[in-house]
Amino acid sequence: MTQLSRRHAIAGIGALTAASTLKPRRAKAAEPVTVWWTQGFYQAENQAVIDAMAGWEKVSGTKVNLTIMNGPDLISKVIAAMQVGDVPDLIHAVTGDRFLVPRAAWDDKLIDLSDVIETQKDEFHQTALANSRFYNAALKQYSYYAVPIKCATLMEQTWRPMIEEAGFSDADIPKTQDAYFDFFQVVQDKLRSKGKRIYGLGYSMATKEADSGNLFHSFLVAYGGAGIVLPNGKLNIEDPAVRKAAVTALERLTTPYKKGYVPPGAINWGDVDNNNAFFARQIVMTPNATISIAVAQMEKPDQYYKQIITQGVPDGNDGKPVPSLVGVSPCLIPKGAKNVDGAKALLKAFIQPNNLNTYLKETRARFLPVTMSIIKNDPYWQDPSDPHRPIAVQAGLIKPTMPWWMTYNPAYSAVLSEQIWSQAEANITQKNMTPEQATEEASGRIKAIFERFQIA
Amino acid sequence: MSVASRARLDRRLVDASVAMVSVVLIIWTIVPLYNMVRVALQEKEDVFSNSVFPTTVTWHSFETAFRESYWLLANFWGQMGTSFYIGVSVAFLTLAIGTLTSFTISRMKIRRGWMLTNAALLTYMIPMSFLAIPFYSIMGKYGLTDNPLSVIAVEVTFATPYAIFIFKQYGASIPQELDEAARIDGASPPQIFFRIYLPLMAPALVAIGTYALLLSWNEYLYAFLLLSSDGNITVPVGLGKFLNSDEAPWNYLMAAAIIYALPPMAIYYAFRRKMNSGLTMGGVKG
Repeated sequence: MTQLSRRHAIAGIGALTAASTLKPRRAKAAEPVTVWWTQGFYQAENQAVIDAMAGWEKVSGTKVNLTIMNGPDLISKVIAAMQVGDVPDLIHAVTGDRFLVPRAAWDDKLIDLSDVIETQKDEFHQTALANSRFYNAALKQYSYYAVPIKCATLMEQTWRPMIEEAGFSDADIPKTQDAYFDFFQVVQDKLRSKGKRIYGLGYSMATKEADSGNLFHSFLVAYGGAGIVLPNGKLNIEDPAVRKAAVTALERLTTPYKKGYVPPGAINWGDVDNNNAFFARQIVMTPNATISIAVAQMEKPDQYYKQIITQGVPDGNDGKPVPSLVGVSPCLIPKGAKNVDGAKALLKAFIQPNNLNTYLKETRARFLPVTMSIIKNDPYWQDPSDPHRPIAVQAGLIKPTMPWWMTYNPAYSAVLSEQIWSQAEANITQKNMTPEQATEEASGRIKAIFERFQIA
Repeated sequence: MSVASRARLDRRLVDASVAMVSVVLIIWTIVPLYNMVRVALQEKEDVFSNSVFPTTVTWHSFETAFRESYWLLANFWGQMGTSFYIGVSVAFLTLAIGTLTSFTISRMKIRRGWMLTNAALLTYMIPMSFLAIPFYSIMGKYGLTDNPLSVIAVEVTFATPYAIFIFKQYGASIPQELDEAARIDGASPPQIFFRIYLPLMAPALVAIGTYALLLSWNEYLYAFLLLSSDGNITVPVGLGKFLNSDEAPWNYLMAAAIIYALPPMAIYYAFRRKMNSGLTMGGVKG
């Protein structure tokens, strides 16, 4: 019985093993292009890319396997895929310029896309182009490892009915940094005196995702800290002007929070949560990295045209314009992609100004174009009857702009991933550090990160 | 104060304290669930209102989920089908592998069978998330990424050790004399397995089957990592997409989550008696 049963058991295991053995996948000669794309904030954004891919399939005769997934998940999944070498052919990651491309390029995990860039190089906005150039530590040189598809900069969104209820009008909103943000504290006081439980400022202050970083760095630049990393990739945080700017930015962001002018939950907000708080009319204003808040309400003309105010970042306290930090949403091709030629052909077609314009307009223009001819040739972008789009164009493309520092040194991508400045804010709001102490701690950590990324 | 009245007072104080703690615990447990229902019963614009009760009750969110009439719920029932497929497959395979293994080890008494049981239990020392990348790599090599089979394989891997352990413990309570009597009557090992061992293991089968089904039903990490296309993802991954939307459809998200929670609740309440006896008896060698 025992021997028989052992034989049975062994035979059973053998049969199961044989049945479950699978052959490894083989590459085919003419494969489709597998594309991973960041999910949009609303349906039109997804539909626009579905339409664009379907259009290219018809023209090229190549099938596109398109997968759309939400932003933070997509980046985690791409990193996992790169580690095991089973990658898609083409990736579009909205926050890829800060959280994905810089270090992947450094590690030589991306295909050089200079030939794709070359097809539109004269068309691209210079800041968008600068944001696509990264350092490869294996080759010891900078090159284009990303192709910019769309760009954005920090915009300020305000409820007009709230400031009117507080007794103000658009004209009363100050134009310079400190006065601008202090104004909303006055608005809150006035609304509270009328029994409204509304917060004046919708600052994102969480140690996650992108919005809190966007806000801090906008403040850092406004207070004179634009030179925190030099174009040669060297860290410049010991510069007294940069240090002072960081301390002031932290102080100006955390003091309103501690005084109750920012919702307490803002320290846990993901990128979408300030938008939601705005829609729920819990806050008077919020800085947000596109005009998505207004655009999401496009089907409600009253809100889109009358109630929501869009502005670029305020001028500096000296009255001079502050450069807008412009980020791009890039496409990239990871090394190991099975159909690099197909992916490049798709990209070259996609960034033709006409195609890009069609795509961006279908997404309801939440993001800005990266090629200036689109702005010049299509009146849609500067339509004076639109209260949001032309303002975003001015702030992100026409007024002074600057790229993020990851393009100089990928170490800054790690600084953003580790949320060092948001952590500094938390140290002030939760652990009662002074802005000076929090800056000191942050700069120590940043210096340690930069040690690992030495540009040759 | 007499001793008797003092004791009565003490008892009342203890009872009052227990009641207070119970009330706090009940509120602590119920409030999130209540909030989920409250949000699901409101329109999108009212979701963030500060009122404790819904100002206007509406079934609109549930209707939207049922009809898949919101873009992020466009494939809700397809995703539900995938979740069912994965859950039922994981439960079936876990039961099949677990019972066969425990039968082989404990009834056929193979040499060093204990090593298999202990080795399986060792896998519990490694958190599921630590193996995400190795599993992703393996599934990629076998061309199983974006295929529900990959998630089934992973879930079965994690559910099986516990199943073997429980089945082995539970099987020890079934008298060996039954096997011997069957053998004398000419029963083969498969006949003993199907006609004696499995019927007597019913409570443990229900408990472990439910455990395996719930494990895969609620799992997010591997489903997200291994599945990509809209047609293959499970409901938890599909609902995760809500967290990236600007349109604040929390009422739809909550309605879909409530619908998704109903099948496991029904399964749990249908089998809870057998589940309890299966799990507790598994811990006692008879």
